[in-house]
Amino acid sequence: MRFTRFVRRLVLLAALPLLLLAIPAAAVATASAATTTGWIRLAHLSPNTPAVDVYLYSFGDSSAQIVLHHVAYGTVSPYEQVPTGDYTVAMRAAGAAATSAPVLSASVDVVAGHAYTVAGLGPESGLRLQVLDDQLTTPSGKALVRVIQASLKQSVVSVNWGGQPLDGSLKFGSVSSYQTVSAGTATLTVSGGGDQATATVPLAAGTVHTLVVLDGPKGLQIDDLLDAAGSGTAPAGGAATGFGGMAPHGPSSPLPWLAAIGAGLLLAAAGGLRIRARRVPAAAAGGRHHRVPAARS
Amino acid sequence: MAALLVAAGLVAAGAGAVGLVVTRHADVPQAAALQVLPVPTGPIEAAPATGAAQVAEPVSLVIPSIGVSTSLVHLGLTSSGALQVPPTTAVAGWYTGSPRPGAIGSAVIAGHIDSVAGPGVFYRLSQLQRGDRVYVRRADGTLAIFEVTQVQSYPKDSFPTTAVYGPVPDPELRLITCGGTFDYSTRSYLSNTVVYATQAS
Repeated sequence: MRFTRFVRRLVLLAALPLLLLAIPAAAVATASAATTTGWIRLAHLSPNTPAVDVYLYSFGDSSAQIVLHHVAYGTVSPYEQVPTGDYTVAMRAAGAAATSAPVLSASVDVVAGHAYTVAGLGPESGLRLQVLDDQLTTPSGKALVRVIQASLKQSVVSVNWGGQPLDGSLKFGSVSSYQTVSAGTATLTVSGGGDQATATVPLAAGTVHTLVVLDGPKGLQIDDLLDAAGSGTAPAGGAATGFGGMAPHGPSSPLPWLAAIGAGLLLAAAGGLRIRARRVPAAAAGGRHHRVPAARS
Repeated sequence: MAALLVAAGLVAAGAGAVGLVVTRHADVPQAAALQVLPVPTGPIEAAPATGAAQVAEPVSLVIPSIGVSTSLVHLGLTSSGALQVPPTTAVAGWYTGSPRPGAIGSAVIAGHIDSVAGPGVFYRLSQLQRGDRVYVRRADGTLAIFEVTQVQSYPKDSFPTTAVYGPVPDPELRLITCGGTFDYSTRSYLSNTVVYATQAS
């Protein structure tokens, strides 16, 4: 009886390290790139509207998060990274009190990982604030490009990049959708009403551009904005950046030890059985021996 | 004789159990103590607003809080399309297919966590904390300064290609090294550590 309990304990002892081994394997953490911010940039693209002060308010907060002073026609701010949520963009005449009623305002819902351009577009008489959803992904090895037509002098323009028409007739105050183009450097041509402007524009793979058509001092003018940039070609998979010299050296195979335990237990069990087999007849014989001396006394 | 057999068996089983327990302890190599480095100084160049302007190529990297100071080699792609890694474990490398650090976009710098014998240049990368600063010096002597926003670990078979290599609208940096379990059968780590940083304002 005591023998079998010992064997049971031994088996438990042998199993315990196996259980311990299983724990770290189950505790593999999973990671997720939780982003909680987006981007906003502000632009003044109304040719006959004087300079403005642009305010960015987080919804429900009366103190402005960002104030851009004296923003003139053709100005586009860099992107500002902001927490996700609702925002209000307000435009006031340059120098107007922050407490005065804005000329214009628009609301923006910033979604995680998204970028927005809030642009004053159109003529002063019909000025509007438009929220543009800026794209941040390109097809592999390609570039994306869109055009904002902010020339009042030429109310309709056509845009060509390297002979490829990006837009045949873009009206003043409108924004084309993004188009995918093969990466490279080519001549951009904007023409309308006998006026024409050209620029050599490099569109690298993995980049997103907004081309702004403006009224310059000498007619049409092109402004190339880099909306976003990434790797032209994304490497496949992860990076092989380690050789294991500082890795914990994994435990050696448990099999020889398990075999030793198993063989030992078998041996002990065989021995135990032989003892029992011998003890049963011995016990029967021993009973007789005891009775004989008892009878004698 | 039978008792001897039992005793021998129990001794063998006991020795096996002891051996099993003792060899379950993994051997964890220890690196030298961390030495925090001084903050580099130099002219700081703000990010260009448009794509027309270009910043100079990166030449070196300093991460004071984890004692990293290294020159930067150029990394391309392997024949199978994976990211090339630095030829030695003592230097980090900038992926030339990514934007230059400080220009608009996600610049990518990779380095080894270890060699076969000891720590590599990015051994302590996973110890970076949100807000830690990363300094990249460029060929014209200017500095681009970044602030860590996230430190993440991903299994290599589910590497977040878009988050790491995809376009972003502001100057950002990605630092990549290995991590997680080392698979002795393939002699490679099963995970990658990725540090996300944005340009400090």
